[in-house]
Amino acid sequence: MGKVKVKKKDPRIDMTAMSDVTVLLLTFFMLTSTFLQEEPVKVITPASVSEDMVPEQKLITVLVSQNEHDGHGQVYMEIVGASKKDDADSAFTTENVKKQVLQIMAQKHNIQFTAQNYADFAKLNAFGHPIADLKKWLDLPVNERAEALKESPGIPIAMTNYGGELTEFQEWIRACAEVFSQREDATEDIRSGKAIAIKADANTPYRMVEIVMNNLQSIKRNKFTLMTSLKTAKD
Amino acid sequence: MGKKNLSHQKKFETRIDFTPMVDMNMLLITFFMLCTTMLKSQTLKIALPSNSNEAKQEKNQNQAAESQAFTIILDGKEEEKDGNYSSTAANSKFYYYEGKLDPAQAATQLVEAKGIGVKGTKDTNFLTAILQKKNAKALKEIGELKKQWETNKFSNDDAQNDAIYQQKATEVLAKFNAAHETPIVMIKPTSRASYADVIAVLDQMQINSIGTFQIETLSKDDSTALAAKGIQLPPVQSAKK
Repeated sequence: MGKVKVKKKDPRIDMTAMSDVTVLLLTFFMLTSTFLQEEPVKVITPASVSEDMVPEQKLITVLVSQNEHDGHGQVYMEIVGASKKDDADSAFTTENVKKQVLQIMAQKHNIQFTAQNYADFAKLNAFGHPIADLKKWLDLPVNERAEALKESPGIPIAMTNYGGELTEFQEWIRACAEVFSQREDATEDIRSGKAIAIKADANTPYRMVEIVMNNLQSIKRNKFTLMTSLKTAKD
Repeated sequence: MGKKNLSHQKKFETRIDFTPMVDMNMLLITFFMLCTTMLKSQTLKIALPSNSNEAKQEKNQNQAAESQAFTIILDGKEEEKDGNYSSTAANSKFYYYEGKLDPAQAATQLVEAKGIGVKGTKDTNFLTAILQKKNAKALKEIGELKKQWETNKFSNDDAQNDAIYQQKATEVLAKFNAAHETPIVMIKPTSRASYADVIAVLDQMQINSIGTFQIETLSKDDSTALAAKGIQLPPVQSAKK
């Protein structure tokens, strides 16, 4: 009679609430995320107080690595067209822009690329081979490309003399500018320097970056931007 | 007996176990967290003079050299000469001189200092202190503008407030520049300077509202002055291997 009935507790915890929270977080991350693009070299940009954001579209990034090849760092390029999200102009997507740039370069150097080459080139993020080796690189199986890019001497930038023959890097920039000139806003971005960004590691000797700047300067691209990260209070 | 069993149908548990679901979600969250870049990079705008009309540039330079010129020669981190560059500009050495470099008095004119972008006392933050002193007049007016900007004096619309502030600040700088009261800074990185050093100095230009600055290469006079101080720069090596 006086026996107290011990209430048996259910040892299982209700996971419904937990699952709600995780799904919410998951949705948030999925919607806000932009994936890290794989880059051939790891770059930690120096910090600055500048608050101008890197544009997400219509951007040519020049990546300078610390590894020396022929007295200068390896130079890679990334080209981004207009994003599909807020731009209805399908002719100016990254894929199309890159294809057209490669077409111009191929014509200039008399190199025949296959349709597959063009498709691959349009999809790949960074490139950095001398134009003569570019086809060989594009013909490589997918899983070997990243490794080959790391080993590459980069886009040639060594200038013989001012006003003389253009370096391949200058030709690439010219080709990009030509494609960008199809659109008024992109032309303006190139002219004001917003569309050209140099990205180099904080530890890179300045003279390596200097060569790239000289290259740009001698084809009258005097304005460009340098990529930096935001300075934290600690710095 | 059999009938009784039939009526005693097994009751289904109505609750679903969510634990595997949570596990999976956590895994996905971790994946997305690791793969995303939340921090976007910033950019620093830079405009180089066109090198096609070098003669014109030379003339400008000479004009500036008289009273406003302030030259910073960037040296790298001293301890790490053998190709190891420091990622912070805090320990980087630099030299500076005012006006035109007189080869005869180079040793005294050239002043050595250390630490480019360090916050803290005036001794450690040499460059900021000097630039602040040199640019005091312009900084004072810009400081006042900034106060107005902070309280949205120019406009209640944030974007417009920014725009008006920027425009006014540019006007102030132009005014003082015309009156030859702001320094014109020449930045000359040596072969030892790292990219971070250059960015740190460019940053200082922005912090101290320097209107006019240029990145240049070392002149012959600079090199001889450095040599006179006993600073031997490593030759620019081509192809390491």
